[in-house]
Formats: sequence, structure tokens, C-alpha cells
Amino acid sequence: MNDSLKGVVMEAIAEGRVRMRPRWHFLIYSAFGVVGVAIVSLLLVYVASLAVFFMRESGALFTPSFGMRGWFVLLRGLPWILITLVLVFIALLQLLARRYRFVYQKPLIASLIVIVSIVFLGGWAVGESPLHRQLADGAHHGNLPPPAGFLYGTGLRPPREKELYHGVIARILPEGFILADFKDATSTVLISRGTRLPFGADFEPGDFVVVIGDETSTDTIRAFGIREVRE
Amino acid sequence: MSEESDEQIAGSVQSGDIERFGELIERYQAKLMRYARKFLRDPEDAADIVQDIFIKAFENIQSFDAARRFSPWIYRIAHNEFVNALKKRASARISFGFDADTLFPHLPAPEETDSATLDRDLRSILEAHLDELDSKYREPLILYYFESMDYREISDILAIPVSTVGVRLARARERLRAVAMRKGEL
Repeated sequence: MNDSLKGVVMEAIAEGRVRMRPRWHFLIYSAFGVVGVAIVSLLLVYVASLAVFFMRESGALFTPSFGMRGWFVLLRGLPWILITLVLVFIALLQLLARRYRFVYQKPLIASLIVIVSIVFLGGWAVGESPLHRQLADGAHHGNLPPPAGFLYGTGLRPPREKELYHGVIARILPEGFILADFKDATSTVLISRGTRLPFGADFEPGDFVVVIGDETSTDTIRAFGIREVRE
Repeated sequence: MSEESDEQIAGSVQSGDIERFGELIERYQAKLMRYARKFLRDPEDAADIVQDIFIKAFENIQSFDAARRFSPWIYRIAHNEFVNALKKRASARISFGFDADTLFPHLPAPEETDSATLDRDLRSILEAHLDELDSKYREPLILYYFESMDYREISDILAIPVSTVGVRLARARERLRAVAMRKGEL
């Protein structure tokens, strides 16, 4: 049996029925693996940063400073489609990376921590850069091809939160201020004793602010919380 | 048989001396047959699977890095072939998907210096009840006690963290002892 097994294999090799794959086959395979990891990593950072950009743009990113109600606004305002995509890409990257010895020899949690750190740092860095703003403006003015229009239009954006307002102070009033949103619509924001102002009330015209509150009548908002944000 | 290492012979095969692949078959045939019989439980198709392992090894030998050890490389091919064979058997209980043992770091389990230090009781239990263990516990036991692999080599063969190898071995021993206790052998 032993000899016959060796004989069968060596005969198959000698007759050319079994062939050695050339080294370049494996080099290309490895290169595809590296390129795959790089592409998925870039997509991951891009999608994560787009999620950060949408949350910044809607103001949802800043609402946790208002307490529990702010956290609920954030949860409702999360871009769930993008977050799902981020999770899918994390799983895909994990699968691709576990082919490598330095990854599989460590516990899964170690590579997950590295990937999630890349997502947070990369997502935050790109989200803070003007990249998405410029692309969104380009898509808005029809200067970019249709996929960008879908990405930056309503396709992946979370629906607008009813109690969340983001804009610039147009005018200071005795009982609050006039808020102009990014479509140039205006609302009156009323500040009361109970309004939460985690970063103070030193507002001036031209300040960018995030407001959560209830619309009491047309274009009037009773503010639950207000904070200034950097634009 | 030559005194050259497996890695040197594999290097010769990579350079075109394909006849020397026969030497690698001679060196690994008995080991892989033993591994197959113990792991697959049903030894009927072990010879065919081992033949496939050598064919795959020859086809892919240019992917072998001669700076590393040859045995974990060919055992990795064997592991993949065995898993595929078990998947084809509808009745087989296999668990090769996500494993929570690989998720978190574990305290390093002490590695025995030599499989010969295995006590007599445990060796007889291993021989008698290996078949009753799930494949994810059976395989590290076979590689450690019968194939004399160390934790790092087993980690390379199974593509799992080194600390998980220690955990699986410890759990496998516990389960074996529990089986033996249940049957009144301990």
C-alpha cells in the first residue's frame, strides 16, 4: 500500500497529470490578497467617514452632550445603512486578514481592536477633512457622476430627526435667537430656564449651533438643549 | 534516505528536481496515514485522502517558504483535506466555523516538554476514547500527542491562536477524563 501510494503519485507527476503550479501563480494570489485587504480597508474608512460626515451634518453627532434625550436623538439619527456596511466590511476584512500568520496567531479580539481603531481614527480623520463636504457640494450642483449623487443625496442618509435642528444663528432675540438652516429656512429658537446649555450661552450671530427641542408652532422651537459646534 | 532536511528536499523540488518529491512522500506517508486514521475515524478512505494530500502538496510546493518548517505546511494541507472529507459525510459532527475560543486571549497553558511525559492512564484513555471527542478537540490532541507538534506548529496547522491550542488541549483532556470516569476506567 505504502509503495503503491508513492508510485501512483510519482507516476501521475511523471506523466504530467499532476503539475506544479508556477511561483508567479502564488505571487499573484498573494498580491490579490494584499490588494483586497487594502481596498476593503479604504472602503471601510470611506464608509465610516461618510457616516461621521452625515452625523456631523445633521447635528446628531453632538447631541449626547444634552443627556439621555440627546442619546436617544443620536440613536434615531444614526445612518444605519452605512453602519451595517461598516460591519460587513469589518467582517470581510477580518476574514481576509486571518489568512496571515501574524493575524491568526493572535486572538480574534486583537485583530478586531486593530480594525475598529482604524475605522474610528480613519473615519474621524477623513470625516473631519473637507473631502465629503466638497463631494457633497459637487453632487448637489450636479458636477459629479450619478453614484456620487446617490451617495451624498438622500440614498444613504438617515431621515431628518424631527426634534433636531442644525444651522447658523442669524439674529439674537431677547428670548432666544433666529436660526437659519442650510436651506436658508429660518426658525425662532426659544431659550428657557430649563434649556440645557452644556457649553454656555454666549451665542452670537454667525455661530453654528445644534438645537434639540419641540416645535411649538410653525417655525418656533422650544429648546431642550443648545450647543455651539465648530464648522 | 538522504540526511537532508525536509526543507532542503522541498527546496530541490521547487528548483526542478521533482524526483525528490518521492523522498518527501516516504518521510510523511506513514505520519499522514496515522493522522488520517485517528482524525477521520473511518479509515476506509484514508489512503485516497493521503494521496490527494501529496498531489495538492506537489501542485502547491512553490508556495512553500523554505525558510519555514515543512511539516506544519504539509499538515495544514492535510487538515484542509480532512475537513473537506468530514464535511462530505452527512453524519459527521464537525465544528469548524466561528469558535468563541479564538475570540479572547487565554492564559498560556503549560506546554508539556515532551509527549512522552504523557502519563500512562491518559495515553490509554486517548487510544480508547479519541473517537468520542468533537473534531475541534480531537485534532489538537492527535497533533500534540501522536504527531509531537508543539503549540506554535499546531497553531499554524489549524490557523488558530497559540493560546487557543492550549485551551483546546486542556478541555480535550478534561473531556477524555470525564468519559473514562463515566465508564469506570478511572
